[in-house]
Amino acid sequence: MKLYETTIIYDPGLEEARINEEVDRVTQPIAQAGGEVVEVQRWGKKKLAYNIRKRRDGTYIHVKHKSPAPLIGEMDRRFRLNESVLRHLTVLAPKESPRAAEEAAKAEAAKAEGVPGAPGPVETASTAVD
Amino acid sequence: MARDGESRSYRRKFCKLCFDKVERIDYKDDRRLSRFITDRGKIVPRRISGTCARHQSQITEAVKRARILALLPFTSDQYR
Repeated sequence: MKLYETTIIYDPGLEEARINEEVDRVTQPIAQAGGEVVEVQRWGKKKLAYNIRKRRDGTYIHVKHKSPAPLIGEMDRRFRLNESVLRHLTVLAPKESPRAAEEAAKAEAAKAEGVPGAPGPVETASTAVD
Repeated sequence: MARDGESRSYRRKFCKLCFDKVERIDYKDDRRLSRFITDRGKIVPRRISGTCARHQSQITEAVKRARILALLPFTSDQYR
């Protein structure tokens, strides 16, 4: 199963309880299908960069989840049918690249090495100026 | 770098994202992305911003995603 990020923009008119209900309607099928909800972020009410269905704001919910692939299409279908969803987007979450991990390790090593060596070049530079 | 007779001085462009050592550009980071769009909402070309190829393609993808989520405009209101 792959890791996905789904962002949903709900109608700003929905009250807190309705939003919680809607979030459950997203997370429950994931759990039922054998997936895993990694994280639910509530960005709250944000101003939209352009009007969607004549709304100026939207309530943003961001869900990170591991889901079986067929569920993604089904989720998409449900969002389309749901009148209170202004917009939704599901993308593959960025993988932890091996390069990033490698670079972090390298930077760590360079730091340990670089600290004693660092004053050297600075001194030579100052003598060169004189 | 400037040719004879040209009074304009040039400054070498560099990729700001490489400078900041950005590994990956996030489509949710609309504040960072907004530096790479014009006031009309267009994506700034590489020849203007000096961004490297790897980062430019990341910017393009991220801006397009952010537009879908209404984090960034497709176009600016005043020109609509």
